[in-house]
Amino acid sequence: MSGLGWRKRWRLALLMTAAAVLALYILAPFSWLVVTTFMHEKDALSVPPHWIPVHPTLENYFTFLNPSGVGALVGSRAAEDTLPGILNSLIAASGTALLNVILGALAGYSFARLRFRGQRSLLMIYLGSRMVPGIALIIPLYLVVRMLGLLDTLPALALTYLTFTLPFTIWLLKSYFQGIPRAVEEAALVDGCTWPQMLFKVLLPMAKPGLAGAAMFAFMTAWNDYLFAVILTNTMASKTVTVVVAGFATDVTTARTLMTTGGVLAVIPPLVLAFLFRKFVVEGLTAGAVKG
Amino acid sequence: MAVTAEAGSSRQRGWREIAGRRQRPLRMRRALSYENPSFAYLLNAPAIFAIGLLVVFPIIDSAWLSLHHYDLMQPRTFTFVGFANFAAILGSSEFWAAFVVTAEFTCFALLLLTLLGVGGALLLSTPFPGRGVLRVLILIPWAIPPVVNGLMWQWIYDPKVGVLNGLLKALGLISHYQGWLSEPTGALIALVSAHVWSMFPLAVILLAGSLARIPEELYDAARIDGSDEIGLFRHVTLPWLAQPLLVVLIIETVYALHAFDVIYVLTSGGPGTATTTLTWQTFLTTFQNLNFGRGDAYAWLISLITVGLSVIYFQALYHRGEFEA
Repeated sequence: MSGLGWRKRWRLALLMTAAAVLALYILAPFSWLVVTTFMHEKDALSVPPHWIPVHPTLENYFTFLNPSGVGALVGSRAAEDTLPGILNSLIAASGTALLNVILGALAGYSFARLRFRGQRSLLMIYLGSRMVPGIALIIPLYLVVRMLGLLDTLPALALTYLTFTLPFTIWLLKSYFQGIPRAVEEAALVDGCTWPQMLFKVLLPMAKPGLAGAAMFAFMTAWNDYLFAVILTNTMASKTVTVVVAGFATDVTTARTLMTTGGVLAVIPPLVLAFLFRKFVVEGLTAGAVKG
Repeated sequence: MAVTAEAGSSRQRGWREIAGRRQRPLRMRRALSYENPSFAYLLNAPAIFAIGLLVVFPIIDSAWLSLHHYDLMQPRTFTFVGFANFAAILGSSEFWAAFVVTAEFTCFALLLLTLLGVGGALLLSTPFPGRGVLRVLILIPWAIPPVVNGLMWQWIYDPKVGVLNGLLKALGLISHYQGWLSEPTGALIALVSAHVWSMFPLAVILLAGSLARIPEELYDAARIDGSDEIGLFRHVTLPWLAQPLLVVLIIETVYALHAFDVIYVLTSGGPGTATTTLTWQTFLTTFQNLNFGRGDAYAWLISLITVGLSVIYFQALYHRGEFEA
């Protein structure tokens, strides 16, 4: 009896150790990034390192709010660009998410409910378009965007991200609509709803969690992109936060604490979304991978 | 829309039979348009337009460019050269060097991702106090933009003030600070570690999701056959994991082949060409040498590798019956 108890205790100790190691692996690198944002430059550069801020400060964050006030700090130019970059990213990513939900719901409905010739091939084209590496598309895409006169604009970014995220959105919403009984639609139509009324008043409200999840995935993909943003943007009219932050990282003259603070600022929106939608992240990733 | 294909017509007929059996009112049947393909195409029109304009057209255009001599360093040259770009690439030492680096990067990353993925998934599938917290924490690396991930590791690996140097010195493992990124092997290991850190949560989440779907009957049956806990793991859990692990490996291979942001921020392909993967070489050919035709040929070689892997992927899923279009 006591032997079994010991075995269980050993098992638990082993599990907890493994969990602690995993938690440390996840948290250690990220917390170092965060911790140094609360340090003065001098403390952050000390050898050996200060593991915790000896003179904790919010100075780095204030620099981003009032970048012109700290001419003495190296890299204030990039700090100036960070907040507008975040705003640009927010607009481009929100636009991507919104367009995704609209176009994805229409197309997703057709795959969930209708039967038409070429259905399977069309879905394969949608999904297959994601297998091409971004770098293969960049030059022709640049030429198309230039032809449309949309270089260095946020709509160009939103449209570009839309095309990368839409296949996944269609797939996700197709599965979601299939989970809603067809009888619900039929009842609405029998009651005299037109098809658009049925879609907007009955089906889409029922599919809200699916739509929100799809919007979140689209937003995060758009927010995280660097390659297309750096090629399609030129000025702060459309530079996104990843472009600004990559500028920090590759510019050796920038104050390192400003660099880490810029990085942390760029992480906040996707991190908040991931935590808010954590159930859907897991469901969505699993559905996306297991079923295509 | 005339039905010509045999398969299509029988599918439609089958559908009509079902629709007819249900005896829906005619008005509603038209409204629902189950049989009205033009309505389905209308619903797909915006998506087809967007993807056609910004993905399908660029794919075709880049294939066309890859068959041309198109070099911005030599203006006014745009001549059809057939597969000469591909031949030149396959005959160049830079391609094979990049190929070897890509293979090393991918294999090393996949090895670590498999260990972390399977280990993490098994851990998260076993109840223990605090498991919920860990399940939330694991989203952190997944949510961080690759550019920030690269920046974070650059800061950690820093040769003069980096915390990795500080930690290893405090532990007595090194006597003085090292330039991890300025030495070929070190740079590759550092790059793989940074990539793996941001990619392992996907593997854990997918594998844990698959573990959660193991039918309890499988365990019951194995128990009746006299399996102990290790036996259950060997005869039920591991075989069950084989298929999803294949899927994870292929997804992660694609991510590794396409990795760009983290290389850009962390090593820029260096030192020398120690971390110049095929994707980075494509970037250099295109945007540094401005040889657009050659660059597109490079991109197409990567695409072919990716598509080859995805075919295996779809086949694997198809045989399992999980894939239905």
